[in-house]
Amino acid sequence: MKNNLFSWILLILSSLVLLFILAPLAGMFLNTGSSEFIETVRDKEVQESIWLTLWVSFAATFFFAFAAIPLAWLLARKNFPLKGVVQGIIDLPVVLPHTAAGIAVLGFISRDGFLGKIADSLGLSLINNPAGIALAMAFVSVPFLINSARDGFSTVPERLEKAALTLGASRSRVFFTISLPLAWRSIMTGFVMMFARGMSEFGAVVIVAYHPMIAPVLIYERFSSFGLKYARPASALFIIVALAVFILLRLISLKKKEIYISPDAEA
Amino acid sequence: MLKLKNINKKLGVFALSEISIEITEGEYYVLLGRSGSGKTQLLELIAGLSIPDSGEVWINNQDVTRKKIQERPVGLVFQDYAIFPNMTVFGNIAYPLHSGKLKKRDIDHKVKKIAEEMNISNLLDRFTQNLSGGELQRVALARTLVNSPRLLLLDEPMASIDASLKDDIKRTLRQLNRNGLTIIHVTHDYREAVSLAGRVGVIHNGHVIQEGPPDMVFSKPVNKFVARYAGIRNFFRVRFRREGESWKALCDGDLVFRISGSSFPEEGLMILKSDDIKISNSEPSAGSDNCIKGVIKEINPSEYGMEVMVDAGETFFVDLPVNDFRLLQVKELSPVWMTFPKEAAIALPGAG
Repeated sequence: MKNNLFSWILLILSSLVLLFILAPLAGMFLNTGSSEFIETVRDKEVQESIWLTLWVSFAATFFFAFAAIPLAWLLARKNFPLKGVVQGIIDLPVVLPHTAAGIAVLGFISRDGFLGKIADSLGLSLINNPAGIALAMAFVSVPFLINSARDGFSTVPERLEKAALTLGASRSRVFFTISLPLAWRSIMTGFVMMFARGMSEFGAVVIVAYHPMIAPVLIYERFSSFGLKYARPASALFIIVALAVFILLRLISLKKKEIYISPDAEA
Repeated sequence: MLKLKNINKKLGVFALSEISIEITEGEYYVLLGRSGSGKTQLLELIAGLSIPDSGEVWINNQDVTRKKIQERPVGLVFQDYAIFPNMTVFGNIAYPLHSGKLKKRDIDHKVKKIAEEMNISNLLDRFTQNLSGGELQRVALARTLVNSPRLLLLDEPMASIDASLKDDIKRTLRQLNRNGLTIIHVTHDYREAVSLAGRVGVIHNGHVIQEGPPDMVFSKPVNKFVARYAGIRNFFRVRFRREGESWKALCDGDLVFRISGSSFPEEGLMILKSDDIKISNSEPSAGSDNCIKGVIKEINPSEYGMEVMVDAGETFFVDLPVNDFRLLQVKELSPVWMTFPKEAAIALPGAG
């Protein structure tokens, strides 16, 4: 009886949390009329902003992965002075208020900033530019990729890497043929997480680039200028697209053959 | 072939210290030690996976202490084989060949040849997840041997395979050694040392404490630790006393052993191999150097037959073949007489 009561309490509390997430979303969809929704789908401005959000977040994830994945390997495998501090720095963007992160990135990429000066000398302005948006997205989302890839590399038994070395492979060959393939699932999960987090970013991006408008900024603009009713269809559409992309990427990353890694048998 | 000169390596709270071992071409050397005694670390030092704090590693008259792993003519088979789960058996065996500049056809040929020698040709296309321990070990051996190393290092090669497959793998290892391959085999099981080694080294707490042919090491252990490794369970703390030309060992519980030898210190440890003791159910006629009466405390089946524990003030472990035990017709609490020649009593002077 007691056990049963406990199960009921668990069930009710869990349902409440799920309901809390689903109810506002369901309300939003139910309150969006089909004619408004179709009109929004056809709206060129909305289409462009969603497309911009997707490709800029993807590009940010893709390019940052080249540096983030080796860093994740280093964190998983090597001990070095101040490693804890480095790990803390990586997690920092997750705890910062995103507008503050935006201000920091803006200072970095504005004409007086370090990166801004370099870009300026190449005749490029990062403010109000997709490249600036990508940097703002990456700033707040790259920890997800690094941490997930690091966890992935940690689960690759070190002795497999050692064995490859004794078999004559160079360190880079060991990385590409053993470490990377065996950590692939976690890296892909991190990739999807970073992409999704970048895509949904508003605070940091709105400070760096109001225009061109990514979807979260567009939704905010419609809400502040025209109200809830007008912002709703765009929000619904963006959520559907984001979900579809998210599910697609998950499927692609899960499709790779599951690799079984035996538990570490070293004494 | 291989020379380790005064190797020292600190590993956290543990350290390998002053390890010097010399192994000649074609030798089968077994390094015996408990887990945590530093055997695996020593293999890693030889393979180049770590570098000693001081001392030198010489292979084929070349100082390789600072040489890269990839440049040492050494193959290492890990305890759990370290088979790459993202590759087929073929991919695993071919892995070391891709580091050189071999043509695909040559790689194919080499892999197939070694797979045949190791009896795993039928597994080449399989992924490794569902292979048995014995099969994985053969894959690991093939992968290590495909590049023809001069020195093969084996880390506990029998630890994860069924007892029934051990003889098989022993035969393979003997054959490899007979073909000229120098082998260093690390294990915690003295029986592997007895059945394979040309020479044994016993490592304990980072020191090599005894070295020599297995029969020498196990018949004349230098201390209790090595004795335990030889499967000896009868240890007695004794005082040695000279009586005329002969010597006796006096144990605390009024036991007196006649022992052979010419000089002993005042105190030490005496050991008796459990299969050197004979048991009878009636008092034997005089003739044996040592005859001790006791009562059977426990009888347990053992890998040799039966293990009989006899209480005679001190506890004695006696191993008997099953048939001998049946003929004896004894059970727990039966009185028995144990006899053994004085040569069977091995004194470890001053050992603890």
